Amino acid sequence: MSDSAVDSTAWNKSISHVNPEVLRGVLCSPHKLFYVALALSAGFALMGAVAWLLQIIYGMGLSGLNSPVYWGVYITNFVFWVGIGHAGTLISAILFLFRAKWRNSINRSAEAMTVFAVMTAGLFPLIHVGRVYLAAYWMAPLPNTNNLWVNFRSPLIWDVFAISTYLTVSLLFWYMGLVPDLASLRDRTKGLKRFVYGILSFGWTGTLRQWHHYETGYALLAALATPLVLSVHSIVSWDFAMSIQPGWHTTIFPPYFVAGAILSGCAMVYTLVVPVRKMFSLEEFIKKEHLEACLKLTLLTSSIVAYAYAIEFFIAWYSGAFYEWSIFKLRAYGPYSFYFWVMVFCNCVFPLLLWSKRVRNCIPVSMVICVLINVGMWFERYNIIISSLVEDFVPGSWGHYEPSLTEIAITLGSFGWFFMWFLIFVKFFPFISLSELKLIMPAPRRSSADSS
Amino acid sequence: MRTKKGVVAFFEHLDVAAAAARSAAEREDFARHVVYSPASFHELMDVAEHSYGPSPVRWCTLVGSLVGCSVGFLMPVLMDYDWPLVVGGKTAGLNSAIPNVIFMFELFVLVGALATIVAMLWFGRLANPRAEILDPALTDDRFALFVPGALLGGTQAQLLQEWGAYEVRQVEG
Repeated sequence: MSDSAVDSTAWNKSISHVNPEVLRGVLCSPHKLFYVALALSAGFALMGAVAWLLQIIYGMGLSGLNSPVYWGVYITNFVFWVGIGHAGTLISAILFLFRAKWRNSINRSAEAMTVFAVMTAGLFPLIHVGRVYLAAYWMAPLPNTNNLWVNFRSPLIWDVFAISTYLTVSLLFWYMGLVPDLASLRDRTKGLKRFVYGILSFGWTGTLRQWHHYETGYALLAALATPLVLSVHSIVSWDFAMSIQPGWHTTIFPPYFVAGAILSGCAMVYTLVVPVRKMFSLEEFIKKEHLEACLKLTLLTSSIVAYAYAIEFFIAWYSGAFYEWSIFKLRAYGPYSFYFWVMVFCNCVFPLLLWSKRVRNCIPVSMVICVLINVGMWFERYNIIISSLVEDFVPGSWGHYEPSLTEIAITLGSFGWFFMWFLIFVKFFPFISLSELKLIMPAPRRSSADSS
Repeated sequence: MRTKKGVVAFFEHLDVAAAAARSAAEREDFARHVVYSPASFHELMDVAEHSYGPSPVRWCTLVGSLVGCSVGFLMPVLMDYDWPLVVGGKTAGLNSAIPNVIFMFELFVLVGALATIVAMLWFGRLANPRAEILDPALTDDRFALFVPGALLGGTQAQLLQEWGAYEVRQVEG
């Protein structure tokens, strides 16, 4: 994708500028805005933690969950954060295998985003169950007192395996990429920092032998992670699609969820990279061309998502299934129609502006579009979960759901928690992959030096 | 950090360093030499492929993945055998192969990835707390070729100068 544009990127810097300028953010005091952002994020995270604590003390009555809506905002958040975590490994693994060079300047932030997003997602099943202290008991496939094993035919246990594998592999992939850069940090620091970065870098020295095995391992890990990226959100979608609930029981869910996850993930990468790029003065390394390529991927996935929305509606009508079609009409014109239209406009209509190169090159406008996409993707999950649960086959069991203040506080807290970890990461680790960035910049050659 | 005795030559340019690495690989008096690079440039990776052959990491990935896949198949089957569950009115103990594919796949990837990392660390001689750090510039923008046991006045040092090194330095053990 637009690799020709990235190939022809005019680099004003050489590889000699990479370490001093990229590591300046880690080694020197960052912009004041950084501390403001960190304090705000920590504040929101604290608010979420207090709300969760209150819910543990006073019980699930503090949430808006009721009969028949047993899955509410917590599961919405779970699916949303897993989706956000999707793009990191996509950018790292799939684009690595496709040799898309533009990824080299943003892959580190995308990988970090993945790890923290999946970490955040992992909290929500725990929050959702209420009595969290019992979670350790049912999380592992251990026999209970009745000698009963877990049900391996349940999509919920598939999810446990999928998410934990995804988190582990994403973490390994991210850390593996960090090792050579941590060695660069070790070689530029002294005292305790040098000791800590020395331990974290495993004693990496950059010998050819190390690079040789590293490159093979990295490519293999990318090859293993590629089907994992596609499988993880497919499995999350089966949490819904394996049921017979109208609006959920549909075969389009896996590709639709995967495309949606990539859309939200790419939009979140953009949302994270742009301010940090500014805060740490990295404009010379994360070029406009790289950001533009990310927006093109966002536009592509937005088109897939728009197509999926349309097909979902068409099939609901064309199948002649009364309950299915009723749910879809309810989504568009019922009590939750506001969320539906927010979803449509944010995920399908506003991204159309990205067809314009002028818009793609205007960072503030693109930033607003990406934030709106994230809002839209959250409402997509909310819309799928709530509208299908409030009205099923039996009119007598129909109900209504609105999130409570506790749920809203926990949701905002999850954003604070996610941004807090991301900001801590950019302060202590290189935000751009130094060794991979050097590969897309012009290498120092005597032949070119002689000719100039 | 422990350092071996020898001679280290520093290069500023990638093409010069790659040519020196290729020349050193063909000479017997450069046995056990070590090439350093700040990134995995293709020219140097070609030299590495020639010097070390295909990386055995791939075999470890394969073995790890197959072990993971087997565990993913056996775990649900054996647990179902141990305590059969009635699901959806189907006969208890009747193993349904399709859901097991998910565990086979997930563990295939998980154990394969773990095996890859362990192999990469093992074959790359990592984690090594006593790693030789010859110069901080080697993780920055410089290339180097270290010849253990060589002396500054020796043939190897002279050749390294001829091959385009901008500095040749004696390293004391």
